[in-house]
Amino acid sequence: MNKPNAPPPYVDHFGLSPADLRSVLGLALSSGGDFAEIFMEYRTYDFINMEEDIIKETAEAVSIGLGIRVIRGDRTGFGYTNDLSLDKVRKTAQTAAAIARGKAGAVPPPALRDRTRAASRYVVRRPAHKASLSAKMGLVREAYAAAQAFDKRIAKVKAHYSDSLKHMCIANSEGLLVHDTRPMVKLVCVAISEKDGKRESGYWGGGGRVGLEYFRDTLTPRRIGEEAAREAVLLLEAADAPAGEMPIVLAPGHSGVLIHEAVGHLLEADFTRKKTSVFWNKMGKKVGSPLVTIYDDPTIPSFRGSYNIDDEGTPPRKTLLIEKGVIRGLLQDKLSCRLMRGRLTGHGRRQDYSCAPIPRMANTYIAAGDDAPEDILRSVKKGFYVASLSGGQVEDSGKFTFSVSLGYLIEDGKLTAPVKQATLIGTNIDILKKIDRVGSDLEFGLQTGTCSKDGQDVPVTDGCPTLRIEKMTVGGTS
Amino acid sequence: MKKEAPTLRDLAETLVAFARTSGADEADVSVSDGYEFNVDVRKGRIEQLIEAGSRVCGLRVIKDKKTAFASSSDLEMGTLKRLVRNAVRRAELGNPDEFAGLAPLSKERVDAVALKLYDPAVAGLDSKTKIGLALATERAALRDKRITNSYGATFASNEIRSVLAMSNGFVGEYEQTYCGLGVGLQAGDTDNRVEDSWSSSKRHFKDLESPEAIARKAVERTVRQLKPRKVKTQNVPVIFEPTQTAWLMGFLFGCVTGTAVYQKATFLEGKLGRRVGNERLTVVDDGLLPGELGTHPFDSDGMPSRRTVVIERGVLKNYLCNYYAARKLRLKSTGNADGNGVGPNNFYLEAGTVSHKDIIAGTKRGLILIRTLGHGLNSVTGDISRGAFGLWVEDGEVAYPVSEVTISGNLGRILEGIEAIGSDLEFHSPVTGPTVKVAEMTVAGE
Repeated sequence: MNKPNAPPPYVDHFGLSPADLRSVLGLALSSGGDFAEIFMEYRTYDFINMEEDIIKETAEAVSIGLGIRVIRGDRTGFGYTNDLSLDKVRKTAQTAAAIARGKAGAVPPPALRDRTRAASRYVVRRPAHKASLSAKMGLVREAYAAAQAFDKRIAKVKAHYSDSLKHMCIANSEGLLVHDTRPMVKLVCVAISEKDGKRESGYWGGGGRVGLEYFRDTLTPRRIGEEAAREAVLLLEAADAPAGEMPIVLAPGHSGVLIHEAVGHLLEADFTRKKTSVFWNKMGKKVGSPLVTIYDDPTIPSFRGSYNIDDEGTPPRKTLLIEKGVIRGLLQDKLSCRLMRGRLTGHGRRQDYSCAPIPRMANTYIAAGDDAPEDILRSVKKGFYVASLSGGQVEDSGKFTFSVSLGYLIEDGKLTAPVKQATLIGTNIDILKKIDRVGSDLEFGLQTGTCSKDGQDVPVTDGCPTLRIEKMTVGGTS
Repeated sequence: MKKEAPTLRDLAETLVAFARTSGADEADVSVSDGYEFNVDVRKGRIEQLIEAGSRVCGLRVIKDKKTAFASSSDLEMGTLKRLVRNAVRRAELGNPDEFAGLAPLSKERVDAVALKLYDPAVAGLDSKTKIGLALATERAALRDKRITNSYGATFASNEIRSVLAMSNGFVGEYEQTYCGLGVGLQAGDTDNRVEDSWSSSKRHFKDLESPEAIARKAVERTVRQLKPRKVKTQNVPVIFEPTQTAWLMGFLFGCVTGTAVYQKATFLEGKLGRRVGNERLTVVDDGLLPGELGTHPFDSDGMPSRRTVVIERGVLKNYLCNYYAARKLRLKSTGNADGNGVGPNNFYLEAGTVSHKDIIAGTKRGLILIRTLGHGLNSVTGDISRGAFGLWVEDGEVAYPVSEVTISGNLGRILEGIEAIGSDLEFHSPVTGPTVKVAEMTVAGE
């Protein structure tokens, strides 16, 4: 996406030359900070909403601003502005600088060198920002029509399309100057089914850091509409979920939410640095079954959670979190890394210029095992099969939940009745030990996921193969 | 902020006029200018201090019954005019919607000053005082030896000026303030941690709870969860503490919006005028309560705020609508327009007469719900299934804390099965309610 001949975005969109940026960084360090950083962001966004059989509205948004951060030891000063006049930018630098309250360091920040690399992980042949609005409306109409035509019990459909293009530049007092242009597209469909006064809903969608060719080559709008409708119709026949502890089998793909909640969050370095995570004193220790190996990899091409550089300018790397049940790594940002003397992994992310970066997941998954998925299912006499999930949550003690939107009962190794939504709850160090079968069929979930932490939303992807958990609490009613 | 205020209003009016000359039949423009202060302290030191000002502009154009929206944080006139022209062009590509259109200009106006939304004391607080409050709150909490770790304390304040101008002639403008103070704590050793927090959020500085009071509540809420047990799966009465009633009301709000009704995305569709809960239940949306967090003089359609009874003694009286949903459903707007959707003003369950203590004393066996984990709410069916933390009640007394269980049930059945409503209603958040006792839910555990 980074065109070689265009002027760099800090000049093009922000009107700030490397010399301006260097002088602002100097000002940011004027009260004695040890590190200063300018994060500039210019984002455009398009949105189309279809409901009640019409394209009901479209929206366009422009967001521009910059955030300046100054670190002194473990203290962070942060200011942001969407007025980019040099005067306001300098004032913002002074606001952030006030955290340090000391004397300026003797050494001015080094000259900035643009270190942007040409290679990109964003796989775009038909860029969404260059496509016509009518073409995008066509995708929405196609998904909508497919859901509506799927079954006569479909009562209502909604389809939403959005794309965004985010130009970002980072300059810091270590002499780094780097920029990236990140595309994102998303098409989702919600279908509501109705039968004898009873209603259910289904959801499906896709996208990622791709162009519109994705909706022709990888996931068609038609399939998005049909899968949403299929789930909605299936749920009409679904029974209430069971309640209590039982063996669980997780379908591949979607069920990565489990790993995201149970493991990923609590290996974000800030929770270990502050010793609030149950994992803080368990580095190098065995916390799960030897079948469990977990990675977070922001470098997977075209994925929603992927990026060329993180929001602090660090090139990311595939990070081993758990190896055969033993904790091996943390997801690091610059602040935690400095204070813990760790190694940067490229997981410092922020929602936008108005937020300071924190350690976050990108694409988190449990590595494939050796078991054939059908053998795993066959091994369960009576249990609960998780077919699709709608999200989850964890707290630092390791208690976590995830919400199943569609499940099945397992009886004598076979899927029988479909079952309605239920929340599953467990404690991570207990559940990780109870993962006793891991399938060979690693898949990733829908490319529509968003993760929230400290009020900041970032796009993520999760993945996992078919898994069996010996026993977990299912929160149904029957 | 004050000196720039005329500029905001001029900007909004200029853009509305520009939209009209660019071909829009109707247009509205909102502009807000905010100042944010936020300090996080932890273990007696400042962790992060944020101070910033930001502006944002949102606009809507309607042409031939087709609607387009735009927004920008770049308030440069060239950018905004380009967005207006684009919006008119995009509107032309959409489908006509017979219900599209701005609300007619209302004759009624609500006096913004009488609503007490702005506190000069919040604007006048210096950084040192704000940092001091956060430090004092955490210090008071950490004095308790049962507390083993801290998430830190936060003081935050906001000042926002908002302007709305519409092509029907409406122009409204008001200023508001918020301030908040809170602390998050852990108790127990690493492998047996429990956590909770308490915070106070108000428009007026003098209404904010003291650092000592906030610390005391946060400590009490945290340590009461130590040494939890997991209970057997069973159906029992569930007592919602006010913080839990707040999310239950939030879920109910989503089920009574006009938008959800016409989208058939709520189990309460088609129930207007019918009994949806028992006699004890009265739910109100009130945008006029002076000084409260959900109070505003007008909504984003320019409609004056009002008080709407949503459920009266168990009977569903009104859906909450913006102008669009109201037209579609042949109802009246209730002044709940929020951007392009429907949002709550002060949406609350009316208080009953029983004390929280007496509700517990009157329960032979059940669960007091104190925290939940996860989402698990489905407005289409009303189904609820969430991870839960609570206190087990035996013979009218708290016996022990409970964790790693789930609660599940259905909002429709919960509304019918409310057995008692507490007298402890407080407006800690725009969506709120007192203690509530529900006859039966499934608690899934072992």
